[in-house]
Amino acid sequence: MFELALVRQAYGGRTVLMLDALRIERDARLAIVGPNGSGKSTLLRLLAFLEAPLGGTIALEGRPVRTARERRRARARVTLVEQRPFLFRGTVLENVAWGLRARGVSAMQAHSRALEALALLHSDALAGRGARALSEGEVQRVAVARGLATAPDALLLDEPASGADRAALHALYAGITAAQARRPMAVCVASHLLEDAYRWADRILALHDGAPSCVTPENLFRVELPGGGPMQTVLLGPLAVDVVTDRAGPATLAIPPDEIVLSAEPLRSSARNAMPGRIVRVAEQGGAVRVTVDGGVELVALITRRSLEELGLTVGAAVYASFKSVAVRVF
Amino acid sequence: MTWPHAEVAGIAALSLRVALLATAVACALGIPVGLWLGTTAFRGRRALLLAVNTLLAVPTVVVGLAIYLLLSRHGPLGGLGLLFTWPAIVVAEVVLAFPIAAALSAAAVQAADPRIHRTALTLGAGPVRAAFAVAREARLALGAAVVVAFARVLSEVGAAMIVGGNIRHQTRTLTTAVALATSQGNFALAIALGLVLLALALTVNALILMLQGRGDV
Repeated sequence: MFELALVRQAYGGRTVLMLDALRIERDARLAIVGPNGSGKSTLLRLLAFLEAPLGGTIALEGRPVRTARERRRARARVTLVEQRPFLFRGTVLENVAWGLRARGVSAMQAHSRALEALALLHSDALAGRGARALSEGEVQRVAVARGLATAPDALLLDEPASGADRAALHALYAGITAAQARRPMAVCVASHLLEDAYRWADRILALHDGAPSCVTPENLFRVELPGGGPMQTVLLGPLAVDVVTDRAGPATLAIPPDEIVLSAEPLRSSARNAMPGRIVRVAEQGGAVRVTVDGGVELVALITRRSLEELGLTVGAAVYASFKSVAVRVF
Repeated sequence: MTWPHAEVAGIAALSLRVALLATAVACALGIPVGLWLGTTAFRGRRALLLAVNTLLAVPTVVVGLAIYLLLSRHGPLGGLGLLFTWPAIVVAEVVLAFPIAAALSAAAVQAADPRIHRTALTLGAGPVRAAFAVAREARLALGAAVVVAFARVLSEVGAAMIVGGNIRHQTRTLTTAVALATSQGNFALAIALGLVLLALALTVNALILMLQGRGDV
């Protein structure tokens, strides 16, 4: 579907995205994760062909999209739902039919297809409502239905979790899954609220400062669970980690940074997992400190400023990063 | 000394006709240009916006002079024989109102929510339909552009005087009539004509307001 090569984007001289290579398959379910300002939204706007990259090429189905004209044509096949979607004046149905009307589809046909798209998201009851009389979660669902109604080859969602409650979010992902079952469509979701995206995505792209990183600040790892749990052992690079789960097959492990204990010596404790390593980064975050430990894989631990000083932890120091098996979350 | 009612009615009718026609033409040309300038990124766009904004400040007598020279017998468009006819006033007023329509509508769509344009594009709209979508959402500010253009044209006197010549029964508008009455010391008549002008402005603006209010969600 998409092939990106050496793509770089910058605003006002500041580089916000740098991707050497990225392939997104036609039936992909890609979760783009990372903190605010990591380049997620920029990547989505590039994939939506709403802006041109400063450098590199983005190809759609093998054809490079370079000129304004080529971007215009490509936009007909890709649609982006923004973090706070804008609904046009008029009814929900008129909004959902908008993309089809823009393609010259007759009003009657556009409305019936719009209703189908709304039904996928269990929102057909909203059809006659005014677009300005909706809750945030409803706006989100209507905007997704509006995108789906155009039968896109790729659907891009920017932070769909921001305005929706958990139940609405489940309905949203269920609707997208149903739409994908009907026809192949690449779906890319940018999020910093991760759990639902992980449960649903089959691939995760973690961004940090505009570049891919193998580990997000939340310590995420894509693994293959051997099964036969409740206690299973998986390898994260050189590190063997015990996790408590009944699941088998591909999964994402997340180790919350605030569940990781740093110590100068190996601990005799209930924490089953310990990784020796060296501190490679120390970053202030409010009153706390994010300490990145490299022991073959990178783990981020969130500790207090005082602990950092009392333990004398500086970049280069040798430490043990320990965490309990039950602290490892499996998605 | 007063003028016959029929004459005043004729003057008012001419003023209204010139103002409505000039506003319509200026907006029909200026608003699309404004939408284009406000929604499309291209080289030289800022220079064009600057040029349009500068034209807002051109004195009306200068425009009147330019149109006079264009339309005068030895001018490039002299063959049309338009000088000292009411269509000549319309031409001058269009030239005056066009920058207003263009600059204010460009400002209106630039001030509109940037998500509107992106949303239209990502839903597959071409540039024209996307600009139209922005215009639809920014219709109140666009209405203001029409109102200001109309006000400028209706109240304008310098250009109307120069290219129309203030000829009785032919090119005398309310503003040029007020100027004449004042210069003759006939203040009562001047005030009366001024009030007619105000009443016209009130009526047309009320109509525009009604049009805008309709179709609100």
